[in-house]
Amino acid sequence: MKSIRIYLVVALLSTITLVNFVSALHGYRASMAEAQQLFDRQLADTASLLSAMPASADRPKVVERTGHLAFQVWSPGRRLLMRSANAPPQPINALEEGYENVNFSGQRWRVYSHFSSERNYWTQVAEPVGLHFHLADKVVLESVIPILLGLPVAGLLIWFVVGHGLKSLHLLADALRQKRADDLSPLPLEDAPEELLPVVQSTNALLARLEASFERERRFSADAAHELRTPISAIKVHTHNLERELSQYRLPQSPVSLAKLQRSIERMAHLVEQILNLYRTTPDHYPAKFEPLDLHELAREVIAEQYADFAGRGQAIELTGGAAPLKADRFALTILLKNLLNNANKYTPENGRVEVNTRVDGDRVVLRVDDTGPGIAEEEYGRVFERFYRVGGDRHPVAVSGSGLGLSIVQHIARLHHAEIQLDKSKFGRGLSIQVRLPASPGYLFPNGDSSD
Amino acid sequence: MLLTSVIIILREVLEAALLLSILLAMSHLLHLRLRWFYIALAAGAAGSVAYGMQLAAISDAFDGVGQELLNAALQIAIYLLLLVIAPLLVVNYYTGERYRGILSAAMTVAVATAVLREGSEVFIYLSAFRYSPQPWSGVLTGALLGAGIGFSVGALFYYLLVGMPRRRALLVTCVLLTLAAGGMVLQATQLLIQADWLPAQVPLWNSSVLVAEGSLTGQMMYALVGYEATPTSFQVIIYSASVATMALLLLLTRYHQKKIRTVRDVSQAR
Repeated sequence: MKSIRIYLVVALLSTITLVNFVSALHGYRASMAEAQQLFDRQLADTASLLSAMPASADRPKVVERTGHLAFQVWSPGRRLLMRSANAPPQPINALEEGYENVNFSGQRWRVYSHFSSERNYWTQVAEPVGLHFHLADKVVLESVIPILLGLPVAGLLIWFVVGHGLKSLHLLADALRQKRADDLSPLPLEDAPEELLPVVQSTNALLARLEASFERERRFSADAAHELRTPISAIKVHTHNLERELSQYRLPQSPVSLAKLQRSIERMAHLVEQILNLYRTTPDHYPAKFEPLDLHELAREVIAEQYADFAGRGQAIELTGGAAPLKADRFALTILLKNLLNNANKYTPENGRVEVNTRVDGDRVVLRVDDTGPGIAEEEYGRVFERFYRVGGDRHPVAVSGSGLGLSIVQHIARLHHAEIQLDKSKFGRGLSIQVRLPASPGYLFPNGDSSD
Repeated sequence: MLLTSVIIILREVLEAALLLSILLAMSHLLHLRLRWFYIALAAGAAGSVAYGMQLAAISDAFDGVGQELLNAALQIAIYLLLLVIAPLLVVNYYTGERYRGILSAAMTVAVATAVLREGSEVFIYLSAFRYSPQPWSGVLTGALLGAGIGFSVGALFYYLLVGMPRRRALLVTCVLLTLAAGGMVLQATQLLIQADWLPAQVPLWNSSVLVAEGSLTGQMMYALVGYEATPTSFQVIIYSASVATMALLLLLTRYHQKKIRTVRDVSQAR
């Protein structure tokens, strides 16, 4: 069944047509039979009237102008006493009491033969069958035609009524269609008809279960990351101690494994920190505190903090543009800047260039980071924001360590601020350019704190 | 006039509508696209008008029995097409999508032929009244009543078939197709008897007391299984033979398809 509406309209209309038409036919047949009886009674009455009329046996009397009616009156000796002008001089039918259809004068007639026992007369009265039939047909048709004409009207009404009846289904479909992928709030229950209630209830139950399981998953990763922090710190301390103890043995050079161990621990600590950041910056949970700040100033602070990393790789980092005042969450923006700079630092080769630019563009504040790294292919722009997605997949350069969470965190924070992120080719010709366009005052633009995609 | 119109139009519309319902339900069962159906309807309707226009020439052919012979040929053509369609239904049901092009084509031609056969009768009947002094309203009302009942029964029958559980739908559709195929051949023999190509015999029995041919039930049964109250022994033999041929063909196909499926399932399991 493709459409409930079409099914209901066709099935209902067919049922109505079938029932109505069959009863109309039945009514037609019954009415015709009734009309026949009526006409027959009339013939009988006429016959008894004629048999009571005086007639002379000398010369048959011929009556003109009898309309459609034809008749004959016969004496006991089978002599014609009286007849209508349109009746033949011979008997119309055999002289037997009763009704019969016979042909004469080029027509079919309904004939009633009557014997009057008082005067011993035979009377035969006839009327054309076609006349009866047409008269009855016309009367009965008048009652059948409205049924036929009413059908299209019924069809139209059914179409609208069914459409109206299915409205709640359409509303439910609309409510489901308008739901955003991350919106797991229950569907509104008000006014749902009895038949849809189970659907709405089970959908809501499903949404609740989904929400709970998402929450569990988020909590688990956050809790796990949190719990891992302590042992990682312990390992760090132990490694530091190990390094010191080994130095007492005055080895010609410090062991390679120790350096590798330290690097791995750093990476693990970073990963755990990123997982925590990702969880913290989830727009639904983050307790954002929007305050006036200057993005240019904030960028300067973060660059200063991370300058050592850039200097270590011989990279030139430059902050351009001017003051960019906006209302934003300081902590979240700091994480965003750190992640963008961290990525630029990691992917730009040694002695490369990185430029951070801030500017005001209408009611937006734009942060732009350009580097001279390998860049990202355009077809991957959409995917780099997925969690743990890394450009190149398994062929990701091993030398570059990373969690694959940085841009997911950036996206969370951008969403929190109702900002747009644009990826592009770097202004240096090669490399990546990331542009974050933040509204100068998100709290003012979106008073409900609603997130938009 | 009304009653005669109702009976004649109902008979023709019902015959076509029931076959169409079965084939449409089959199309639904196999998830075929409906394009074939619209093409068939259009072709059938155009064919009926062409048939009606050329009626004089057709009737005069073959010593004045051209119309009977052409109608009988159309009925036999539908029977032969059903012999192709029904086994393909079984094949498609058991072993997935195969020979769909042939199936669609056969169904298109079958529906077009059925619409042509019944539509031409309606067209000829109605056009006969064009120049008659009889009042049109009775004929037209009767025709509309007949067509309304016929189409309604067809639509309800279709939804009945479509609403059936899938595993039972195949059996019911096959049984209906077999009976309808038998009905086609029976009507063809009747037409050939009228044309004196087959001998007229004494009826074997008369069941009009049980179900009169003119009643609604009689019309339904005529349309669905070719019911006749007074069949001759020759007609009974032909009917049985054509039904048996179809049934045998269906059983063989089913047996063969089940074997293929079992072999496939076993090889997949390995």
